[in-house]
Amino acid sequence: MRTLSPLCAALLLVPAMALADTRVDERHNVAAGGRIELSNVAGKVTVRGWDRNDVQLTGTLSDGLQLRQEKSANRVRWEIEYPRRGNNGGATLTLNVPRSVELLLSTVSADQDISGVDVRRLQADTVSGNLAAAGRSGDSVLNTVSGNVTARLQTPRLDVNTVSGRIEAGGGVSGEIGAQTVSGRVGVDAGRIQRLVVETVSGGIDLSATALAPGGRINVESVSASVSLRLPRTVSAQLSVNSFSGSINSDAGKVERPRYGPGSSLDARLGSGDGDIRVQSHSGSVQVRLDR
Amino acid sequence: MNTHDPDHDLLARLRALPAERSAPADGWERLSARLPPREPVAVQAPVDNVVALPLRTRRRWWLPVGAALAASLALYAVAPWRHAPESLPAPSGLQLQADAMTEQYRQAVASLPDGTAPEWQPALHELDRSAEQIRAAMAQDPRAPHLLGQLKRTYALRLELTRQAAQAASGLTT
Repeated sequence: MRTLSPLCAALLLVPAMALADTRVDERHNVAAGGRIELSNVAGKVTVRGWDRNDVQLTGTLSDGLQLRQEKSANRVRWEIEYPRRGNNGGATLTLNVPRSVELLLSTVSADQDISGVDVRRLQADTVSGNLAAAGRSGDSVLNTVSGNVTARLQTPRLDVNTVSGRIEAGGGVSGEIGAQTVSGRVGVDAGRIQRLVVETVSGGIDLSATALAPGGRINVESVSASVSLRLPRTVSAQLSVNSFSGSINSDAGKVERPRYGPGSSLDARLGSGDGDIRVQSHSGSVQVRLDR
Repeated sequence: MNTHDPDHDLLARLRALPAERSAPADGWERLSARLPPREPVAVQAPVDNVVALPLRTRRRWWLPVGAALAASLALYAVAPWRHAPESLPAPSGLQLQADAMTEQYRQAVASLPDGTAPEWQPALHELDRSAEQIRAAMAQDPRAPHLLGQLKRTYALRLELTRQAAQAASGLTT
């Protein structure tokens, strides 16, 4: 009996050891302008910026997962490989990135939490994971399918695309902004806009900007979604709103309806009419407020 | 010189006719009096518990009416203009483009490999629903270019995600 007890204990430990997570701790020097790529399926990816010249990847991999890496002087690529037969979980990873790099992140169901970064370019893609990005980026592209996007980025160029995921963009976003969804809601609270293009089929649109640059352009298209646009009273642009069956409510201009047939439209000159603001909706209501 | 113009007279008399004319009060009585008498309905006396239904009268006047109707239908069937009823407007250029785009999209989707990873499934259904919604909107407003743009964007996204979903289902993740 005395000899059996340690044996039983050892046997009980075997499956626990087999299912143990694998620790990851990798570093690599990346010059300014270099590229960092990370690809994962499930779990979570956390990205933080730091004041060092190397990039660090730490975290744990569930049983059966493997880390593949490709490194060169100016580039590092990490990919978590999943077994074809399925897995017991995902990977929980933390990436610390230097300044002025190009950062490319790709996940399937894993959430991405990015903050404190100061990068030359950020591209983050996920399918069903949520995506939160904060910091500074020279160029930002955020794509999800059903995951929500929260962008609080100081960036002169932001392009966000989802199918059903909600988009919330603010925190200093300005310049050129593109937001496209199919059914996800779009909320943009921007600074000075050079170009703002928003398209949705059925997701509601709520846009606000502190200024429109001279010659700036805002183009909003919706099928059934309602559109709300808030701009400062000092905005200078030619405003054009069209809706087939939705109502139009605007602080400027007069809504015109044809004597026969459906539809309504509004054309107004705001200030000296430098820029262009165009809103088109099929059945969603449109509201334009000049009180920002 | 005789300036009498019979056509002019006729036109003047036509213009003088009243635009509307009400039927005389005793119109139905006068019409009814001229109709031929109805055939008497023969009613059989009830025998035991069997109740005889009244005989249906044979209305021979249906024969010429039926023949005329058949002739009309035959003419309609062979007439070359029967496929273009005036009540249906011709499809707009945008609708024709949308039809062509939809056909190309269906062919492209059919050419992609089967299999869809579960993460993509809700989004693919969402895109299908949205494409139907846009097509319905185009049917209401067939001259809205932005709807065609939305349809193009939705189909392109659906194709791309279908490809990604098939790749993921086959194990080629990310």
